Amino acid sequence: MNYPVWELSMGAGMLIAVVSILHVFVSHFAVGGGLWLVLTEARANRQNDEEARGFVKKHSRFFMLVTLVFGAISGVGIWATIGLISPHGTSALIHGFVWGWAIEWIFFFVEIAAALVYYYGWEKLDRRTHEIVGWVYFISAWMSLFIINGIVTFMLTSGGWLENHEFWTGFFNPTFWPSVFIRSFAGFGIAGMFTLMTAANLPLGDFRTRITRWNGGWATVGIAGVMASAVWYGRSVGVWTENEALLGAIPVLPKVVALFKIGLVATISLCVIPLLLPKVWNKGLVPMLLTVGLLTMGAGEWAREAGRKPFVIQGYMYSTGMLVADEEALAADGMIAHTKWMSPESLTDEARRGQDLYAAWCQPCHTTNGYNGLAPFLAHWNEETIASLVPHLQHMRALMPPWYGTEEENAALVTHLMSMKPAEPGVMPADRQAARIKSFAISCGLCHTPNAYRSLTDFFTDMNAEEIDEFLDDAGDMADEMPGYFGTEEQRELLIEYLDAFDEVATRPGGSES
Amino acid sequence: MITSILSTIVPAPDALPLPAPAPVLFFLQQLTFLLHLLAMNALLGGLIITLVARIRSKGPDDHWAQLADSIAKTSPSLVAATVNMGVAPLLFLQTLMGQFFFTSSILMGWGWFSVVVVMIFAYYGTYLQSFKGASLGKSQKPILAVTVLLFLWVGFMFTNNNTLMLQVGQWAGMYFADARGLHLNLGDPQLWPRYLHMVLGAVAVGGLMLAWWGRVRHLRGDERGAFMVKVGVDNFTWLTLVNILVGLWFFMALPSDVRKLFMGGDPGASAMFGIGLVLGIGMFVLGFLARLRGPNVRLVMPTAMTVVQMIVMITMRDVVRNGFLGDLYKPAEFAVKTQMFNVVAFFVLLVGAVFTVIWMVRKLYLSWDNN
Ligand code: HEC
Ligand code: HEC
Repeated sequence: MNYPVWELSMGAGMLIAVVSILHVFVSHFAVGGGLWLVLTEARANRQNDEEARGFVKKHSRFFMLVTLVFGAISGVGIWATIGLISPHGTSALIHGFVWGWAIEWIFFFVEIAAALVYYYGWEKLDRRTHEIVGWVYFISAWMSLFIINGIVTFMLTSGGWLENHEFWTGFFNPTFWPSVFIRSFAGFGIAGMFTLMTAANLPLGDFRTRITRWNGGWATVGIAGVMASAVWYGRSVGVWTENEALLGAIPVLPKVVALFKIGLVATISLCVIPLLLPKVWNKGLVPMLLTVGLLTMGAGEWAREAGRKPFVIQGYMYSTGMLVADEEALAADGMIAHTKWMSPESLTDEARRGQDLYAAWCQPCHTTNGYNGLAPFLAHWNEETIASLVPHLQHMRALMPPWYGTEEENAALVTHLMSMKPAEPGVMPADRQAARIKSFAISCGLCHTPNAYRSLTDFFTDMNAEEIDEFLDDAGDMADEMPGYFGTEEQRELLIEYLDAFDEVATRPGGSES
Repeated sequence: MITSILSTIVPAPDALPLPAPAPVLFFLQQLTFLLHLLAMNALLGGLIITLVARIRSKGPDDHWAQLADSIAKTSPSLVAATVNMGVAPLLFLQTLMGQFFFTSSILMGWGWFSVVVVMIFAYYGTYLQSFKGASLGKSQKPILAVTVLLFLWVGFMFTNNNTLMLQVGQWAGMYFADARGLHLNLGDPQLWPRYLHMVLGAVAVGGLMLAWWGRVRHLRGDERGAFMVKVGVDNFTWLTLVNILVGLWFFMALPSDVRKLFMGGDPGASAMFGIGLVLGIGMFVLGFLARLRGPNVRLVMPTAMTVVQMIVMITMRDVVRNGFLGDLYKPAEFAVKTQMFNVVAFFVLLVGAVFTVIWMVRKLYLSWDNN
């Protein structure tokens, strides 16, 4: 609304996801790996274990190359990316938390200096000083995590900040502490995983067995810690616990959470192998462990992001940049009055008006054919259907930001959506049951799930096909928030069959998260 | 009329108040930007000098090769310093001028995003030079050349963004013609001279730093020192001269109303412009005289002048900014709600951090000597 929107055919969410999942994996390694380095070094010094010292030294080079280069630059990269994709959100966070970021920058400064001194100081600094530098590294790296954690968790659980707009209220928000624990343990676990990789390259022998067991311990303890703190975390996310219906509204969210849980179990199962059977651990298992770890981490971050929508900052700002505080004004004035980036042509050209509105209010989350693409749905819809849905967008179970279009604006948006429709009309699946499910997904399923969110089961259990047919004629009278039904004859027939035999759980085809 | 169209396009300032008075944030922005420039000049200037040295080197042990080997070892740490010192001014810039900066970033979306990817490769390029060095064999020179090009690309994107954010009048035309983030600011006459001014300045200042390094080595009886001084001072002197001319080109490329600010329109700006010219000529003259003294150069005066010059340039840069934006940017009108505790915490931690880093680096430096 305030800023132009970058048109990305892959989808904005996709770009963020790629950059951040990679960064998050490495940046947690940068924290946990720091502790691994100092503790393993200290242990080797105490036990006069030269082999272990050599291993730490060798690993520290890999550590530096991965964390200082990829970790640091991709971190700046996330920041650049969210600035491109969510400028309003970034701006708000910076205004609220610039001192947090500035302080994080100070720790970043110490962290980098310490990493370099630690690496270049091997065999030059005396052992005690070298260990101290390692501690300086770990503490500053962990403090960076601590601070960024305050800002990231704030976005999902803004808590009391909504009332007082105070820095510390937002910082120590309801998920702050559980998240600090999850992230710290994740760091230790990932440190174990990466060192298991280095260890797998050692020649077979007593030392390899020893160090593999030690690293396996790190990985296992780390992941176990993540599991425990994740339970605590889940209980602290107000929007999830206080409103279970909402969870049902986003079928993909429970799926992602389930994926995260399965991922954790898989990861820890792999981690105990080197701990209990260090001799069995080998190079072949490394890629598997790292992949499972990365995917698990990705699922965790994805759940956090998905749980936040349709907000960038829970309760304060929607993904489109619309402020909750401005909603009344939008409802009164319509959208164009609050859309900065309307082209001059939009004054006279309805199609262009629709395009500009779409760019400002839909494109932040949707693409045509890519991530969260609309074309696969539009292919099945006629103009009446699209026109009936547009005024009801915020009632869809996807939890979209409100759309307060005036009649003229709605018409323009419909024109634009019609222009996005693929030339070929959508084809229903050949399998009859799949076609029924599909027919539901592209109509009622946009706002209802069969038995979780705005459940329809009770309502339709006792109805026969004829009654359902009649119901569809007057569907628009059901509730103010609900549109009428305008599907084609074929779709209607399938839908009736589906509702008539209400016992299968429908899944949304082609759906995805944002 | 124009402002009325523009004001519908320019994003409104953020709804949340600034967490400190604008001048405090502005001061920090300028200060950290100066530090960023110093690190960047050492890095980019050093890399370009290294590339030239590799090209001129006739054998693995001649002066040029030794010079290149020495500098190549420093590059990775200088990248770290440049990035770190760059984050801070970017943060404060986004706080104060996000309305402009985010918008231009989006218009050049892919170009801006490319900085991240390119930086990662360029950074690894410096590590390859530092760790692998001669063992890269035939590919050493091409890898170095690509690394330099990648860093030049990064700088070019920064210049594009920093100038596009001022071209408010161009935004609507660009965005409504194509929203895919493929624009650059190539149509802006100040783009090329401004970029060139920065790059040449980096090599000149990088040269001065090299001269210092050579001087220290020379005093310690390291025979590689004298050549470093010579190359450093040469670069400093001649590129400063060229850069005065490029600076004038940059000046001529500014719109006349901005230029007029430096020609009496704004007394402070005009004075600064005069001082800048005098300092530039002074740097050249002192550099020229320094060359005559061989490895026993006196570097304090030219260095002092250079630092002052950089401050003058950074300040003039801001005058240009305000000249372009005029009434569209009024930081004095931003709401402010100072987070006093955080401001104090920031400065206390900063002092602590500086001491910690000095302590660590000193330890390393001393131990390096002993070994
Ligand atoms: C744009 C969103 C939307 C679509 C599409 C939609 N509905 Fe609804 N529907 C609603 C809302 C909102 C309510 C009110 C729910 C409430 O009060 O909790 C509702 C209520 C209902 C109710 C009343 C439920 C009750 O227990 O009282 C029925 C039945 C219903 N819808 C059936 C359907 C059917 C069948 C379709 C597909 C033809 C459909 N809806 C399509 C949004 C929608
Ligand atoms: C905050 C992000 C967001 C914004 C903004 C947004 N949507 Fe959505 N929209 C979604 C998500 C997420 C879904 C559901 C996708 C899923 O569950 O797989 C969705 C679903 C839809 C659907 C149903 C088809 C489908 O892909 O699931 C339509 C139609 C739709 N949106 C249209 C719009 C229009 C038109 C606008 C602009 C006025 C808009 N949306 C703005 C996030 C958004």
